[in-house]
Amino acid sequence: MNKNMNLELNRREFLKLTSAAGLVGTGLGGMSINAFAADSVNLFTWSAAVDTVKSHANAFEKKFNVGVNYSNSPWAQYRDAGIAKLVGKAPVDVLWVSDAWLPEWVESGWLAPINKYPELMKYNADTADFCVKSMEYKGKQYGLTYYTDYMGFFYDDSKLKKAGITAPPKTWNEVTEQCLKIKAAGICEFPFMLSMAKESWLIEFITAMNYSFGGRFVDDTGKAIMQDPQKGAAQALQWVVDAVQKHKIISPACVEIGELNGLKSFGSGNHAFAMLARYRIRTLNDPKQSAIAGQVKQALMPAGPKGSNATVGWLRFYGLTTQAVADKTREANSIKLIEWFGGKADGKYTFQKNLLNDLGSGFGVNSLFKDPEVIASVNAYTDIKIYESAQKFAKKKDTIAPWFGEWDEANGSLYQSAVLGKSTVENALTKSASVWTDLAKKA
Amino acid sequence: MWLISPMMFVLMSVAVFPVVYSLWISFFDLKLRRPKSAPLIWFDNYIHVLGDPGFLDSVLRTSSFTLMAVSAIMLLALLVALLLNENFIGKKFLSTILLIPWAVPYVANGLMWKWIYDSGYGALNGALLQLGFISNYLIWLGDTDKTLALIANAFVWKEVPLATILLLVNLKSIPEDLYSAAKVDGANIWQRFWNITLPALKPGFTLVMIYEVMMAVRHFDLFFILTEGGPADASHVLSWEIYVETFRKLSFGLGAALSYLLAVVTFLLAFFIIKTLGKKI
Repeated sequence: MNKNMNLELNRREFLKLTSAAGLVGTGLGGMSINAFAADSVNLFTWSAAVDTVKSHANAFEKKFNVGVNYSNSPWAQYRDAGIAKLVGKAPVDVLWVSDAWLPEWVESGWLAPINKYPELMKYNADTADFCVKSMEYKGKQYGLTYYTDYMGFFYDDSKLKKAGITAPPKTWNEVTEQCLKIKAAGICEFPFMLSMAKESWLIEFITAMNYSFGGRFVDDTGKAIMQDPQKGAAQALQWVVDAVQKHKIISPACVEIGELNGLKSFGSGNHAFAMLARYRIRTLNDPKQSAIAGQVKQALMPAGPKGSNATVGWLRFYGLTTQAVADKTREANSIKLIEWFGGKADGKYTFQKNLLNDLGSGFGVNSLFKDPEVIASVNAYTDIKIYESAQKFAKKKDTIAPWFGEWDEANGSLYQSAVLGKSTVENALTKSASVWTDLAKKA
Repeated sequence: MWLISPMMFVLMSVAVFPVVYSLWISFFDLKLRRPKSAPLIWFDNYIHVLGDPGFLDSVLRTSSFTLMAVSAIMLLALLVALLLNENFIGKKFLSTILLIPWAVPYVANGLMWKWIYDSGYGALNGALLQLGFISNYLIWLGDTDKTLALIANAFVWKEVPLATILLLVNLKSIPEDLYSAAKVDGANIWQRFWNITLPALKPGFTLVMIYEVMMAVRHFDLFFILTEGGPADASHVLSWEIYVETFRKLSFGLGAALSYLLAVVTFLLAFFIIKTLGKKI
């Protein structure tokens, strides 16, 4: 009998232990062992720069004696996971938000504006204009910059020199000419690397091209104008179609090449030109990661006939949730945390510099372009002057609306159809405009 | 009765409730990005889906994929099962090797084929070039005419082992006496295969067909990893449509309606196969 009792106790102990382990595993246990649990700020991010975030959060805890409950999710699942948390009212006070989701999340009542917090709003004076605009919706601002960057135009200097080209192209016509020259010289089969796979990067590539051709998807009132052949969007897409179908300077396989594979392909020395996120130049000029290290240079985005050096810029920011604002203590601590990460920490832009040094991530703080440490860090792999001057041409995406995700889904397929010759440029853009208009009406 | 009540509770919670609840939300215009406003719209989600030309296109692509994949699986599984039913040196080794694709998880399988099919550095282009079949690298997944067949190929590679095992079990159950009697009657190898082996394999074929059709119609993993429904919607099948509606557009009501339509289609297909092939089992 005693033996049985012992067994019973053991089972109970076992159940207690496993339950406790389960709680710890799900993060619930973490709440009870956190010394700052009562005042903690719940920070949710995607799983980028995790160590840098943790280290900066630790410094915050020491400075303010306020805990940070940090959790993250991979980028691919982040939007779904974030929305599930917000809908399910899981505790989230501060979280990273992509500019593309801003209208959707504001309309859902998940994000609170920060206009009433002067300690945060003061940073606008030192922030790139497109960054501030990217955090605004219906006249209110919804956070401070986590990181920002823009679509860059890169070239492999050694290949240009080999083809007898002395300067990078300034217009898209010059891009075609130089590509044909490089192709004729047998240097590259497909001199231009453009990723057109259907992924979240696609809209950034095509928006950058649109802007450089002077085009837009929608006007300031939100009306679709992409289908208008005079507005530049059609010319930009036609340039890509011609580059693939007629000149054969871009591989028809571009529709299966995502941004990361495009980076690898360009870094392997297969192309002379590439459109990639600006921060990728650090990888491209790293001898451990690139076969063309030291040869990659950035130029301003080539201009279309009626265009400019304009490119697309994107932003990820620290958003403040409405549930945090509903509680005075959580609100106050959240504001402190947003400033600590997105503004200055102890009077310095520490986190922005850490991100730049650790990952090469871009920043929206204008004064950092004059910071000697930043200049030295960036000049180690590119020229900070071209970085800064190209950033001045960056503009936020014109398609950011609550229905952006749904439209983007259809638009990506339509662009691919045109590139593959399954549809004309006119048809693709007319259909895309029609999808936009329908979604806008439904909203 | 009370002894099984805990398990009944678990089953109701994790199986019955989600199924009934998903049916319930298919009658609502539930979008996660505006969770506070989810009006009851009864069958509007179903009507919308059935009237959408995009849905019919995805049904056609799903049918095409299923037809290609299941026919190839049946044929290859039959050939391999016939081979493994014979005695030869290395049979055990070959049987073991055959199980490997079955043991590979779908995600790993997808990533492996993504590398093989890559038009820039893929093994397929490399092999074809070295063997002299092509002079330039070809585009595989990026070619809308090839995409579906290539995904079907990756699916077949993974599914053939299980189908083979099922057919092999069926083959082993055919009495040897039948073949002996046929030989005495002067039947040649082809006649023995046609008149004894194939009819006897009917239960195995039915089982394999039902299972593989259900797997193919609902298949998602390879589409997600290899093409994400592209290029230009060339691999936008029904399961991908459900994913896009539910997790990208966050239209849970419409996604649930699509899922129920897929479930009905799968059920009808299985019913049709059993009615036509399985009535003599």
